[in-house]
Amino acid sequence: METKSSSSSTNLVDQSVCPGDVILDLSNMTNQTIKLGGGLRQDCDAISVMKAGRLRFSKPNKYWVENSQKRYVPHAEDSVLGIVVDSRSDNFLVDIKGPALAFLPVLAFEGGTRRNIPRFEIGTLIYARVVKANPGMNPELACTDASGKAAEFGALKDGYMFECTTGLSRMLLSSPTCPVLDALGKKLSFEIAVGLNGRVWVSAASPQTTIVVANAIMNSETLSGAQQRIMVEKLLERIH
Amino acid sequence: MEYVSPEGLRLDGRRPMEMRQIRAEIGAVSKADGSAIFEMGNTKVIAAVYGPREVQNRNQQISSHALVRCEYSMANFSTGDRMRKPKGDRRSTEISLVIRQTMEACILTHLLPRSQIDIYVQVLQADGGTRSACINAATLALADAGIPMRDLVTSCSAGYLNSTPLLDLNYVEDSAGGPDVTLGILPKLDKVTLLQMDSKLPIDILENVMQLAIEGCKAIANYIREVLLENTKQLEYRRGV
Repeated sequence: METKSSSSSTNLVDQSVCPGDVILDLSNMTNQTIKLGGGLRQDCDAISVMKAGRLRFSKPNKYWVENSQKRYVPHAEDSVLGIVVDSRSDNFLVDIKGPALAFLPVLAFEGGTRRNIPRFEIGTLIYARVVKANPGMNPELACTDASGKAAEFGALKDGYMFECTTGLSRMLLSSPTCPVLDALGKKLSFEIAVGLNGRVWVSAASPQTTIVVANAIMNSETLSGAQQRIMVEKLLERIH
Repeated sequence: MEYVSPEGLRLDGRRPMEMRQIRAEIGAVSKADGSAIFEMGNTKVIAAVYGPREVQNRNQQISSHALVRCEYSMANFSTGDRMRKPKGDRRSTEISLVIRQTMEACILTHLLPRSQIDIYVQVLQADGGTRSACINAATLALADAGIPMRDLVTSCSAGYLNSTPLLDLNYVEDSAGGPDVTLGILPKLDKVTLLQMDSKLPIDILENVMQLAIEGCKAIANYIREVLLENTKQLEYRRGV
């Protein structure tokens, strides 16, 4: 059922909002279904904001607050970059920059059986998918896609990992391709893995290329598309 | 000593209902999850927030909600006389507790069970109203860290000297020995999260002083909102969204 949002909400969509702002009054909305995303909560007859950011609306009835932060709140089906911090008999403990360590079961790999359990040293970087993310329990990861195939998931060898905000990682994964990656990809050859938890892994043939790509991405957070392209050109001028 | 002149001016030239100039800056500490600097006149405070993260001491872990920890300290150079013990004394412990309880009232801790949020506040320059400035700085830092909050918490002090209610006391007025009310509110929800008073005050005057402090809190809330909105807009504008 399509939501006819109240005037206050219509005014606030695509606007910056703060904690405590009321975006919808449910008392004058009858028989309407709305879906609340991150950063919003229902408080009696009001939908209020709990994180500072920009209010977004997606037809027919989804509202959420888009914000950028350094910590990651786990959500199911997110692709994340985790660091193995401990190894147990039936699972690995992985740091995904969240409120709690995540569990990666030893069988959550393609063709995972008791006979071919992977061995990860502490400190290994892993690209994984969040399978379960309930508030009361540790998140659960898997190194397979929904169909059980390894796809791009697994341990990441070599390369360089750096941290950024969750907003920047979303921007890097956005469609159409982020201008900074587009500009770098035309001139340089490199591999990149972006986790929605604000971690980015870059691997290239030479350390020089790796550093250029990493610096370009880190600098791009506060730049517009045109500025990103100019910045990449200037960086490439220095190395060629 | 005369704290309010016959012309109605205070020692620093302000009117009784006038606040000191306030300034805030978000993202002062790059390594923290959220940070802010907050200035009220000559009082300058820096706050850093880390979390929500794994609880370091498993014995303190709470299964139903997040553990909020707070540490208040004053820099050695924050006052005229060099401070011998900038943290760990009774006053610092009490203010840490006050800030923690005030912030817990606004943080939606039940959304982050079995995790820990650390708030570190340091006074860089002290000139009265440090706990108010600390609460305001902590609010900004929490919002910057993206921690879910019911509302912004803002705080302001008010006093009563020379039979005049005064808003936002500086150090000289604060140490005059008169009544000093520190108030913390959730401005959108119209709820009080902190109310402290030194000395005695008749109930009818207390209401006037409290009303003055509430107005001060609301003015600070408007400024903090502007800072947060400007910060969000700037990021979006720069990205060309």
